[in-house]
Amino acid sequence: MTDLAIDVVQQLLNGFLFGSSYALIGIGFTMIFGVMDKLNLAFAVTGLAGAYTGLLLFHLTRGPFILVFLMAVAAAGLIGLVIELACFRWMPRDYPLAPLMATMGMLFFVDEVVSHATHGRPMAFPAPMGQVMMDVGPWLVRGDLGFMFLVSLAVMGALWALVYKTRLGLATRAVSQQPVAAQLCGIGLTRVNAAVFIITGMVGGVAGTLIGSAVGNLSPLLSLPLTVKGLVTAVLGGLGSIPGAIVAGLLLGIVEYEALYFFGIGYRDMVTYLLLFAFLVFRPGGLFGQRVGR
Amino acid sequence: MKVLARVALFTIIVVGLVAAPLWEPVAAQERVLKVAGVGAMSGVIRGFGINSKAVFDMVVDEINKAGGVRLADGTRAKIVGTFLDERCNAEEGISVVRKLASEDWLVLIGPTCSNVAEPLFGILQRKVGDAGDSGLQFPIFTDTAIKPGLAKISEWAFRNVPHEPTMYNHLFKWLKEKHPNLKTVYGGVETDFAHSNSNWFTSMKNAATAAGFEVLGEEKWLLNDTEFSTQVGKWRRAKPDIIAISSHPFTTCGVLREMKRQGVKPKVMAGLTSTATLETMAGCGPEAEGLIIPTGFAPVTPEAKRVADIVAKQYKGNVDLHSAAVYENMYVLKKVIETSGVEAKPTTLAQDRKRIRDGLAKVTEFDGLLGKIKRLDDRESVKPYVFAVAKNSDWAVLFDPR
Repeated sequence: MTDLAIDVVQQLLNGFLFGSSYALIGIGFTMIFGVMDKLNLAFAVTGLAGAYTGLLLFHLTRGPFILVFLMAVAAAGLIGLVIELACFRWMPRDYPLAPLMATMGMLFFVDEVVSHATHGRPMAFPAPMGQVMMDVGPWLVRGDLGFMFLVSLAVMGALWALVYKTRLGLATRAVSQQPVAAQLCGIGLTRVNAAVFIITGMVGGVAGTLIGSAVGNLSPLLSLPLTVKGLVTAVLGGLGSIPGAIVAGLLLGIVEYEALYFFGIGYRDMVTYLLLFAFLVFRPGGLFGQRVGR
Repeated sequence: MKVLARVALFTIIVVGLVAAPLWEPVAAQERVLKVAGVGAMSGVIRGFGINSKAVFDMVVDEINKAGGVRLADGTRAKIVGTFLDERCNAEEGISVVRKLASEDWLVLIGPTCSNVAEPLFGILQRKVGDAGDSGLQFPIFTDTAIKPGLAKISEWAFRNVPHEPTMYNHLFKWLKEKHPNLKTVYGGVETDFAHSNSNWFTSMKNAATAAGFEVLGEEKWLLNDTEFSTQVGKWRRAKPDIIAISSHPFTTCGVLREMKRQGVKPKVMAGLTSTATLETMAGCGPEAEGLIIPTGFAPVTPEAKRVADIVAKQYKGNVDLHSAAVYENMYVLKKVIETSGVEAKPTTLAQDRKRIRDGLAKVTEFDGLLGKIKRLDDRESVKPYVFAVAKNSDWAVLFDPR
């Protein structure tokens, strides 16, 4: 096999596995949009803030990774609830831009809080699988990214079970389809929205911890790129579609890695945004979203 | 009654005569020298600004405790300082400096980032005395922004930053002497940051070639990147003897981790000057083991140790190759102010700024924390330096060419 073929497949593997980080972030964006029909730009930073909280616990206790993970997930769920209160519930209902701008403000606010607390320095994050590397023929497969891929599948499965097999899921679907009718049936809109933000916050915590672990560091530099890539993933997958976010995240990872290999760093992001543009023009509903009329 | 009135009048006259000579110095004691600092105090580069501010506060306190600065009329003035945030953002940096220049600040130390310094120097008057140029006439003495050649933008701009071409020429020459069997260098560069990008293309790459190494190429990434398997994979295949990484701590750590993961073990690793900081050790000390970086500061002299200790213990900051320059700059300014006739009166603000500028331009050499610092005609410094090496998650001096 030629070097080129080996490299192309290696890029495919790397992109596929790294794309699972985009998928995890994309799930959060898409789930909130699916229920509330609104974008939460502070979602990625919620996950990172959760991961920082887990890291704080690690520095205080030197506890095992699972403790860091659980702390991050719990903290991110709580931060998610705060964001629901501050950026959605307390915002004027007849001003649709208000929640969007509020979440943008929250993104930079949380980012700045983290910058002040850490002096902007990268902080080493526990990476129990950081050096695990598997040889698959001529190719290398990163253990931590493989693990992240499996976790994103598990998260998708858990969310599917939650949405389709529980009373909360039924209420969530009802609110997402007909909020007024759902309220008339006795479903508490406020309670459902709060639950969705806690759950997506927890998904963000999972994402933040796994991304921190894969990168090996946490830094405020991560929040903006993850926000942008998460949004692109959600749009490509179809806003509101969880399977769409998974597939789009993996696709985006592959496209980025192949673009980096063939065209270099200067063109990688250009290719990504051309892909986004092409989707918005030719398939605005995304891979799995509803058809959107022009 | 008359006698009483005469005694009272006499007393007033005597007191007045005695107090008169004292009156002028008391008034002069109230005269102050206003020196401003500007650095990144928020955002992801905040660590650099915090260290610069800690050293700034320390040196202002030290000079004031020692009696302040002597003015043209022989009186002594205390330094009043302020340190403002430029967020590593050009617009904010320019806005802050315009405000300071419109007030009664005499001179500025800073900024942190080269992408702020470059446009900031551009709003200064290009040539002193050019009546047709309405640019700011405000002396700036930079401690951190390190992209080569920036001071030549304006005659009001001065810098005391390591001279990277000199340091890297020496480093690669030294590596060739120490390891004559090493032949090839492969670079890695963070292309979207002014300093790291220019350092690879104007310093490291040329220095490696000049020292007789074959440069195989360079891999590129961006400041926010988190995954480097593609770039490191190319290094793995090329098997270079030396890998030279021109990037800041966050991505340097990511690259070093990926190298470890893929088993890429060059015989020598060299890094960017700005990465010889505690940030790198906090982020990836074990992975950085063996990384060699030329740096303009290490606590290798008694004075450097003293300053580093005081700043760490009392001002909660770190003295590194960037923040150390704040200490040096402030003492140079003190000397210039004392010898160039600065009056520090509200009516002499413009003249005092010009006097400081002219005084700084005349300085050909001054004492730095590691030794003598030479000044160049283009208002840049050539500073003493050492080669630091990452060892046991700390920086150690590998070679001291002073």
